[in-house]
Amino acid sequence: MTTPDLDTLAALTRDYAAFQTRKSGLATALGGLMAVVLAVGSLSPLFMGARLGHRLFLEYLVWTPLLWLLLKGLLARALYRGAGAVKALPDGAYERRRWFWIFGLAMFLLSVGLSGLYAFARGLLQAGAARDACVPAPPLWLLAMPPVYLLAMPWAIRGIEEARVYAVLVGQSVLWLLPYFLFYFKAPAPPLRTGWGLFGDLLGVSILVLWYLIVVWGALAMVRGWKEHRDFRRLLGALP
Amino acid sequence: MPSPKPDLHAILDLDRTIHEPARLAILTVLAAAEEVEFLFLQRITGLSKGNLSSHTQKLETAGFLETLKAFRGRIPVTSFRITGEGRAALQAYHRQLRALLPKEGKP
Repeated sequence: MTTPDLDTLAALTRDYAAFQTRKSGLATALGGLMAVVLAVGSLSPLFMGARLGHRLFLEYLVWTPLLWLLLKGLLARALYRGAGAVKALPDGAYERRRWFWIFGLAMFLLSVGLSGLYAFARGLLQAGAARDACVPAPPLWLLAMPPVYLLAMPWAIRGIEEARVYAVLVGQSVLWLLPYFLFYFKAPAPPLRTGWGLFGDLLGVSILVLWYLIVVWGALAMVRGWKEHRDFRRLLGALP
Repeated sequence: MPSPKPDLHAILDLDRTIHEPARLAILTVLAAAEEVEFLFLQRITGLSKGNLSSHTQKLETAGFLETLKAFRGRIPVTSFRITGEGRAALQAYHRQLRALLPKEGKP
């Protein structure tokens, strides 16, 4: 038997287990890339009005987190399970940090939902179909997708990096669905008279700040994911 | 001051189930994770299938690990988990061995 010393054996096992249960390597990089592509793509004037089939392209963005989850599963199976499955020891502090991200996404979705309700309640947005809306009516099931993603998060997402990627992708899909709903449920009165001006300005600035944060975070996630992947290759090479 | 008499009983008291290098390696790996699949255990210890099976059986008989059988699709998968007794025995073994080894700088 040729094996490294006992400390190395334990460290290799812990690192390998971390990859199986908490890290996602290339999936993190892929999530970062998807976030950057969506953010940069949104700058294109074609992005908002583009159609795919009979539907608006924006409608398909709600599937981005699900697509990433599927790719993450495939990548984990193809790249990170070759030497057998290992479950990591439970870590309370790590678990708390993961729940922090789940809670963060919940708060974001709640604030978007409440802002929408506020806008309808104040009459800033008009309920029902706008007669001269420039886009087809958005299917209402789209509104159910973000809560569904949130409910799936504790089971589908195991690591903190994964939680960040998922939270950003779900948040982004919600952000890019907003214009779709805003085009349809448009303001019935001139903005300044209804107070939409200040609300709209705040919303605009928030979205701009979020846009920059997403691009910077996405670039960092690509680097981190690639580094994790290289660490895993090194770890596999270190196994006896 | 006369040097203390070496306690031979302490050496003889070492747990022989754990003292065997392959079994020590297996328990060390299991202690670092919650559950470890046979394939990984084989890869990391460098043992043959037969050898690994025989050592894990001995450890299971001693109550130091439990074997978990499951199916992934149609493929049977065997995993192992260290028991509380096994973890305690491994820690006790480490303590005993450290106490027996000469202190740094002394022959």
